[in-house]
Amino acid sequence: MKRSRIFRRRSKTVEMSVWRLQALFYNFKAILELNNTALARMAEMEQALGGEYIFDRPYLEDSVRRISSLVHHAVYCLNALTRNSYVSLYDRYQDILVVLDAILAGGSSGRDAELVMPLEDIGWELEPMVGIEAVCLSELGRHAGVRVARGAVLTAAGVDGLLGRALAGEVVGATREMVETALAGVLGGMRAEQGAMHIVGVRAGENFAEAIEDIPRDLFSVEVNIGQLGNWGGGADGAVAAARELAVRIEREARTCAGSLAVLMLIIPPAAVSGMARSRAPEAPELLAVEARQTGADKGDAFLMRRTHPFDLIRSKISPRPGGSRFADGRRATDPLSRSLGRGSALITPPALKSLAETAMALERMLGTPVEAHWQEAAGEACIICRVQPRPMHLEAPSGRQLADEMAGATVLVRGGQLVQSGVVAGMAMHVREDTPLESFPLGAVAVAKTASPRLTPILRMASAVITENGTAAGHLATVARELRLPAIFGMPEAMRLIPDGQGVTVDAGAGTVYDGFLEFLLRHGAAGGDLNPTDPEYRMLRRLLRFIMPLHLVDPDAPGFTGQGCRTMHDILHFCHDRAVDELAHFQERRPGLGTIRSRRLHAGVPLDVRVLDVGGGIDASAGDQARVDEVRSAPLVSFLRGLNRSSAWSDGASALALGDIIANLPRTMGMLEDGGVMQGASLAIVGADYLNLSLRMGYHFSVVDSYLGPDQSRNYVYFRFAGGLAAGKSRERRARFIAHVLEHMDFLVTREGDLVVGRLKLAEDECLRVALEVLGSLTAYCRQMDTLMRDDSDIGSIFDDFSEKFMRSFVPMKESAESVGTAKAVR
Amino acid sequence: MSDTTTNRLRILVLDDEPIVCKRLKPAFQKAGYEVETFTDSGQALVRLHETRFDIVITDLKMEGADGMQVLSSALETSPHTRVVVITGFATLETAKESFRKGAFDFVAKPFKLGDIIECVKRIEGEMRDGQDRTALRIRPV
Repeated sequence: MKRSRIFRRRSKTVEMSVWRLQALFYNFKAILELNNTALARMAEMEQALGGEYIFDRPYLEDSVRRISSLVHHAVYCLNALTRNSYVSLYDRYQDILVVLDAILAGGSSGRDAELVMPLEDIGWELEPMVGIEAVCLSELGRHAGVRVARGAVLTAAGVDGLLGRALAGEVVGATREMVETALAGVLGGMRAEQGAMHIVGVRAGENFAEAIEDIPRDLFSVEVNIGQLGNWGGGADGAVAAARELAVRIEREARTCAGSLAVLMLIIPPAAVSGMARSRAPEAPELLAVEARQTGADKGDAFLMRRTHPFDLIRSKISPRPGGSRFADGRRATDPLSRSLGRGSALITPPALKSLAETAMALERMLGTPVEAHWQEAAGEACIICRVQPRPMHLEAPSGRQLADEMAGATVLVRGGQLVQSGVVAGMAMHVREDTPLESFPLGAVAVAKTASPRLTPILRMASAVITENGTAAGHLATVARELRLPAIFGMPEAMRLIPDGQGVTVDAGAGTVYDGFLEFLLRHGAAGGDLNPTDPEYRMLRRLLRFIMPLHLVDPDAPGFTGQGCRTMHDILHFCHDRAVDELAHFQERRPGLGTIRSRRLHAGVPLDVRVLDVGGGIDASAGDQARVDEVRSAPLVSFLRGLNRSSAWSDGASALALGDIIANLPRTMGMLEDGGVMQGASLAIVGADYLNLSLRMGYHFSVVDSYLGPDQSRNYVYFRFAGGLAAGKSRERRARFIAHVLEHMDFLVTREGDLVVGRLKLAEDECLRVALEVLGSLTAYCRQMDTLMRDDSDIGSIFDDFSEKFMRSFVPMKESAESVGTAKAVR
Repeated sequence: MSDTTTNRLRILVLDDEPIVCKRLKPAFQKAGYEVETFTDSGQALVRLHETRFDIVITDLKMEGADGMQVLSSALETSPHTRVVVITGFATLETAKESFRKGAFDFVAKPFKLGDIIECVKRIEGEMRDGQDRTALRIRPV
């Protein structure tokens, strides 16, 4: 009777443990699935931004609703998994959702309260607060080889504060004192700047160009000398007095303007030559115009150029100048530039002209409408872009017949691939590699590459289009191309062979086609505005929404900011939930001692290891009995791990041979070496699913954890490895830990080591890389089981690594060659 | 029905979201079709009574006459017209109803430009092959 009661009590404990364990894994699996679903939806939104989808405003509302619902569910599951360890994550979720709702309602972002902002801190999401010109100058400043004026913006909220107006929907706005304090902060940072400050009132709010006739104009424009503001003199003190005077001047002008406005405060250095570049010449819209003028002169030079690379000069009009006069570069017109060429009397040199042409075209791509850029020459350096304004114009689309005739006669070089960013452009094709020097890439050329490597990012900032043979629309480089609105096609088969280096081509990214030569009617059709572009309110709303949905800021789990409070986007929250869930699973045995003994089956691993297996779904063949064989294992990560573990050379060589008897004698033994409250006394435990493995492995005196997910969505797959302990003295154990860390680093794991504890993570690598990494970890587990006792000095680390590498890491060579995905993994982990 | 001078198919696009019309029009033009776009279903119905279109692409939920009414009206006026319904509120029920009323295809928003062009090319192919779908259509009860 008594025995029976005890038996019943123990049975209940077992049932409870399994139930709780299943709940644990249910929440973990739910987080993975929520991640996959939400990321797919986010990717769809990104692809919509690139022109892949036809969508409307209700789609944006629906996407925000669905993504936020998935993220909220992920936060719930994480808290269920961790016994409410991350309740504050709900607050961050709510904060971000409020911003998204505000954007959908026509507001700008959670930074509405900012009064003054440096130009370089401005992004698209702030356009309603700062105006389109500030956004353009800021974005342009991120392009390679382009210099823009430095400065700051008094936002619409700042202007309202200065004028004593409350923002729409706000009971209390910013006070004048707050605005003056913010201005003083900006002036303090500008005191070293040379030149006058141009203060320009610009229209803020939505829709910078609602109609062709709606050309934005300056609301007011004044010039002040920073040093003379409030008798400041530019020193460290007195910025507050200077800010007060600046506020008075701005207020005086702003009071005369109706509606929402922002104020640009630009430092424009003195220059001998200045001018403007128009992406479409008003008198000849098929050409690009550049004007240059000497300061104080009535007449200047005028140039008309082709709008496509290499921006051939079509016509120039050079004003006559007195003989012998020197130009801004210190030369005379007759001074030789080369053996056959003199300086000439043009105010601006051909390279500077081409640079201005490419800048104007980059701006047009960015805005989706013709632009006018004001520039000033800085002696010996690239021209500085001081002002940028959209100049919409009506462009006659070619007739259907013209287009059809041109297309009928066009030669297709290559067709296919994935659309990343739509658009039609023409230029000279240039083959590029990851190590192509930036200076050798001609501004405005069409970049053609083998792989969409993130290392090509600087090239994208100089190109007019990009085509790659490999890569997907979901990668990092695709995001960059969309940010730049650079026409891009990835995954275009044989692009390198079919698009010859140096060939003039027309790229129709939307149609996934590259044509031989320049197709004038197709280019005109593309320019007529059929693509999704920034003049469309849906484009700008989507772009602003994505700023709070897509970017991943939390990349380093060991960084102090890797917290719930550090999440700034929905993607951050998802990533945080995923990372914390993996961490919880990897440590669940020591954190959940109450789980009790788990009913499981023995795995005949083929090696001297006592491994018990708990199948949470599809990890072991359904026909397997209580004793599962290796060939009955269906869990993808465990299959790979066992393949490496079962390699005979990992068990028979070196150190292991010396101490094998001790090791076997120590198997199984308690897991209390590192953690208290172990549940599977005397055995290693593998919790497996079809695509999941959590293996807690006790080998003699060390303890390791392998946690891996290899599901259908490559972006969510990972391998986590933790190793600690050992039989030898501390120094020797540490040597083994260094050896293991070295192996992991060689496989591109993100590795941290503290004493004899090594933790490595590998994510966002190709599936094959992860499988091979698991196999290597299997071999490593056997190979180094008592390696610590052999490592007598530091020189052993290198020699043992060489031995291990030679025997077990040869299969890793292909993975190292595909450095593209590994590089990406490193960049975003 | 097709433009007799150019022998190109004529398409009417109706969606109360201007962005959809703005993007579909040049895409169909580039593919070689004659296109007219409308954001107001009343105006589109007037136009459908004035002239015949080979293909009508219509949104479902709109102010005034909705997509179902446009679908019925288009087929009454011209039984040979193929109607493609596009909607952001795609459900099995609305799809069934669209097909029951004689829609050629039912496309959920967002959709890829290539998909809708492919759909139009399919219609064009059938028309060129001389297939008459009207005999196969289930007419509204």
